[in-house]
Amino acid sequence: MPGKDFLALILKVGFHRVKLAAYTGFKSSPYTEGALFYGEKLLPGQARDDLASQTEPAAAPLKEVACEPSGT
Amino acid sequence: MSPEMTEPEIRKVRQGIKEKYDRVAAAGSGGCFQYPTGKAGMELQGYPPEVIGDFPPEVLAAFCGVGNPFSLGPLAPGDAVLDIGCGAGVDSLVAAHLVGAGGRVVGLDVTPAMIERARAHQARLGLNHVTFQVGEAEVLTFPDATFDAIISNGVFNLTLNKEKALNEAHRVLKPGGRLMLADMVLVAALPPDQAGKVENWFQ
Repeated sequence: MPGKDFLALILKVGFHRVKLAAYTGFKSSPYTEGALFYGEKLLPGQARDDLASQTEPAAAPLKEVACEPSGT
Repeated sequence: MSPEMTEPEIRKVRQGIKEKYDRVAAAGSGGCFQYPTGKAGMELQGYPPEVIGDFPPEVLAAFCGVGNPFSLGPLAPGDAVLDIGCGAGVDSLVAAHLVGAGGRVVGLDVTPAMIERARAHQARLGLNHVTFQVGEAEVLTFPDATFDAIISNGVFNLTLNKEKALNEAHRVLKPGGRLMLADMVLVAALPPDQAGKVENWFQ
């Protein structure tokens, strides 16, 4: 799923101050990359703030080292 | 859930993801992702050096996150944190380090073998304010407004019903609670011969 579509889902379920903050530079394929998403649950009576969701982050430089064995 | 997926395809995706992470859990330090993992991955993503310094090598080696959710904002001492798709528990243990003994962290994962690894890592670190349990992002078993923050690292892309999972995350967060996710997203269109392949979910 593209980041902007996932961002739209986070907004849809009710979070505000939602943003795609950055790409992480970790790629699992030529078509997929890590990204950081943030959102907050509204406080009672709080006005929504959806400004941050309009901003597209800059592309991240690819971060790689020789792939080391690991688990998760 | 993808509306175009059939029930057999959904079952195949679920089974494929389960088998992949069973293999990763069993391999211990033998798996290999396409991006840096382990201590090198944590350093590249800017995890706190003091945390990296405190964790034993076997715990650091288990990291295979796609980013650093903690870079999205600080956790406060005493916070209650849910880690959705905790895997071998590295981020849950980082969160436990950050919220301190007065806080509480729950790590959740669909793979029982991963939960066993996470508990072993927890025991190695001697942290008593973290618990690990088997569970799914789409069906959280916690009461409404339980957590101050939810973290997740490379998991929602593997979740079939993302909207349901996000709704559940919203429900269990306290008002003002924060969602801090690192996840894998599409940054370029898949070639026509790869688009829509069920195997894309768990390769």
